[in-house]
Amino acid sequence: MSAQRPLELILARNLLSSLSTPAFLVGEGGTLLFFNEAAGALLGRRFEDTSVLGATEWTSTFGPIDEQGDSIPYESLPATVALRANHPYHGRFSIKAAGGIQRDIAASAIPIVGLGGSSGAIVIFWPVEEGTETP
Amino acid sequence: MKLQVWGSRGSIPAPGPETMRYGGNTSCVELTLSDGSTLILDAGTGIRNLGAALGRKESIEQPIHILLTHLHLDHIQGLMFFAPLFRPEAEIAIWGPASPEASLRDRVARYISAPLAPVEVRELPSLLTFLEADALEWEVGPAKIRAQAVNHRGPTLGFRIEDAGTIVSYIPDHEPSLGAPLVSCEDEWISGFDLAHGASLLIHDCQYTDEEYPHHIGWGHSPMSDALEFAQRVDAERVLLFHHDPLHSDEFLDELAAQVEVRWQELGGRDIVIELATERQEFEIEPEAGAAQVESWEPQATSRNS
Repeated sequence: MSAQRPLELILARNLLSSLSTPAFLVGEGGTLLFFNEAAGALLGRRFEDTSVLGATEWTSTFGPIDEQGDSIPYESLPATVALRANHPYHGRFSIKAAGGIQRDIAASAIPIVGLGGSSGAIVIFWPVEEGTETP
Repeated sequence: MKLQVWGSRGSIPAPGPETMRYGGNTSCVELTLSDGSTLILDAGTGIRNLGAALGRKESIEQPIHILLTHLHLDHIQGLMFFAPLFRPEAEIAIWGPASPEASLRDRVARYISAPLAPVEVRELPSLLTFLEADALEWEVGPAKIRAQAVNHRGPTLGFRIEDAGTIVSYIPDHEPSLGAPLVSCEDEWISGFDLAHGASLLIHDCQYTDEEYPHHIGWGHSPMSDALEFAQRVDAERVLLFHHDPLHSDEFLDELAAQVEVRWQELGGRDIVIELATERQEFEIEPEAGAAQVESWEPQATSRNS
């Protein structure tokens, strides 16, 4: 028997797969469970080619980095804050897309809390131009 | 286990000459466990006739357990007319989904109270308890029961009941393909998969035809092809298609049954019994020889009694 995901994660994944806004679905422990086609376009890789990634793996692959080019600690990422503190969180940073391309993005993470407690977070993100302000 | 269907209609009772054979009462299934005790799945209008049958006994000695998948009216409407509720010696436990908004008892009491009803829950003479059953496994007599949230509108459970080597999976209101076709999903991403996997009998939503479904996406119910695909994915050994649309006459359902046979073959399904549930239908549920593996597990949490 499979270890079926909680219903709220199944519904979240189905929602994200229907969106044109780039989005991640992160599970307990920061595991990257899914990203949609729009996110794949931004990252330069498809989820089907990447599959599920552990927290260390996806942060090193996509390399969230700050304005100085330093890696952002996993603990400071919006997804991590949303998961651990159980509240929404917003941040702006850069990611490494395929081919070494660096993209500036803004990201908002929202915790997913079902009747059984916290089970993950949705991270919606979008590219930002240098000099533009995000809320 | 022995099963009897007391109501297989969805949404609203549909009595009349055009629904005589499949029946017009809403969701209610009786399971007689291997020790003779009674487990009732949902309390739609079909439970009234079941209550009348139970009420003919001089006394009700064993506790009656009613498992409510959710509190939509077609799953609780018969509750107030369930005769054992009015028998002081009857011990009745009602299990249902939790909600952050109010207790199960308070939510059921919205129906069994003025102005919708002439009695209040507190006035019912039976020994009545309400237990919230989210993400729980528990035992009733010889049966092990597992509840899990499934994709429908509002807090909704499906149930997996294991007794004497047989497994019944009851998911009467379910739209597992909402947002993603089942064929594109891995097992772990399919709502209800664990509840239904390897079931000796799967009782599953089949409210719509494939042609009707595009007009009802997101309403929480399955079209025929999704119900069959789900049954195939979980490798059910027997399938009872359930929650018939109130607009579907006997004649219409006969045609649907013929389409089911064709579609099952198209899907490459193995040779099993797949049928549309019929009111008063009853049969013994047998494990397929060597197929139904009842996995062992330990009951986990305790229930929240309201």
